[in-house]
Amino acid sequence: MRLVLDLRKVSSHHDRRRLASEADQHGIWGTVVTGPPGSECVEAAAIAAVTSNLSIIVDVDGDAAHPTTLAEEVAVLDQISRRRTVLIFRGETTTKLSVVALLSGLSSQGVILSPPPAQTSVPVFDPEDIPEADLEGDLQNSAAIIDQYRDANTPFLIVSWDRPIKELARHLVGRAASPDFPQMVADLADEIDPIQ
Amino acid sequence: MDMGIGLWCLQSTATNPRSFEQAYQELVDDARLAENNGIHSLWLSEHHAYYDGYCPALLPAASAALAATERLEVGTGVLLLPLHEPNRVANAVNLLDAQSQGRFQLGVGMGYRPIEFTIKDELISNRLQLMNSGLDALQTAVSAPTWVGVSSEKAARRAGRRGLGLFISGAFSRDVVNGLIAAHRTEWETSGSPGGTPPPIGLLRNLWIVDTESERRKALEWVRSSYLVYAGLGWGADKTGVDFVSQIEASMDEVERSATVGSAEEIAEDFEGYDVDLVVCRVGYDQPPRTALVEVIERIGQELSPLVQELGVQR
Repeated sequence: MRLVLDLRKVSSHHDRRRLASEADQHGIWGTVVTGPPGSECVEAAAIAAVTSNLSIIVDVDGDAAHPTTLAEEVAVLDQISRRRTVLIFRGETTTKLSVVALLSGLSSQGVILSPPPAQTSVPVFDPEDIPEADLEGDLQNSAAIIDQYRDANTPFLIVSWDRPIKELARHLVGRAASPDFPQMVADLADEIDPIQ
Repeated sequence: MDMGIGLWCLQSTATNPRSFEQAYQELVDDARLAENNGIHSLWLSEHHAYYDGYCPALLPAASAALAATERLEVGTGVLLLPLHEPNRVANAVNLLDAQSQGRFQLGVGMGYRPIEFTIKDELISNRLQLMNSGLDALQTAVSAPTWVGVSSEKAARRAGRRGLGLFISGAFSRDVVNGLIAAHRTEWETSGSPGGTPPPIGLLRNLWIVDTESERRKALEWVRSSYLVYAGLGWGADKTGVDFVSQIEASMDEVERSATVGSAEEIAEDFEGYDVDLVVCRVGYDQPPRTALVEVIERIGQELSPLVQELGVQR
């Protein structure tokens, strides 16, 4: 299971960029960003510019835009982010089908995206496809939550996190990846290299 | 007079095919290069559904360039407003403005290619109406400076009436440019001077800094060949008043005549006659090798900008 850092409720754009940059450095798999309708890909592009490894899940209002306009923005974002774009689409199914087709390089009602996405196709999810967990409490509780989702065979988990990003990376990324995570190693790492 | 560079279109053309990822990476590299050489601004350009990937979504591209810089202004020259939902544009522009501490400039235009309206389920015959309702919506919703791309006095007057800046595109002669500026200014004044201070004027110029006659010839060839992109875009675009296809040689001659190619001193002298706030040096052609583009960006910043600082409108 891969962890996705939730930046959607972080109000300061300085904080969003700093947290994304730290997540990028510490090997968090992805982040999820959004904004008022029309600004979602602008926010995501700013995050893409200050990161190089992080997958960038952009959570969009699919009913506010023409499907071609939305697909164009996401395709450009995928070029800017060098194939790191993932989409959460909130909106009508018919619009979603058009957007999915366009972001797979297929024609939709005679339109083909130019430029196309950089990836083979941009993954598109419904909001309910990716569960969310609040990990802003005790580390032990967070570990239990991670175990639960991982054992339920969840591919991605969006997490809210208010402590240092390195702590998330050290204690929970490996646990999310494997039921055999050696907690003792993370605890010893805290003694050798305390996280400020 | 400020010096900007343009137009970054992020294409992979038939004359210079390249990867789009590379094009978008070079946008960020060029933004940093421009900033490090004291250039005022970098301007992007939009089209849709064209074979070469001409950038259809300028605001995410602007966001990447702004996030990678600290002082450079980034503008759209121009975003085709009738092809977007104005409230979405407003939200995106306000985020760009906030994230960049006011370094984003919004230039808007109408568009002229029928296919671009078709793919957005709009009629090209409605473009003026869509433009006006879009500007109405932006007027109260957007904090960033707004410019309107124009090519006629009528359009210049419309921008003046609203107190919006003018982004003068194309390869116009000095007389035509001054006519547009005068029409804009007069209309602004007779409309009660909306905004209080005269709206800014930006001028796009085909330009290259050279030292020798052979460099001059080469630069003019790049300028001429850049017109091929526009001939291609105009293919099938009717009622624009421009016959892109059958008059291609004549159009290329005209573009060449209006280009400003010479030493930094010669170019600065040419700019003396323009009453504008900003010149966007059009160097984003698809033909010049990367080394030549990097060199001209450095020279615009280091040689040309200091010479034109005192020229133009003083406000």
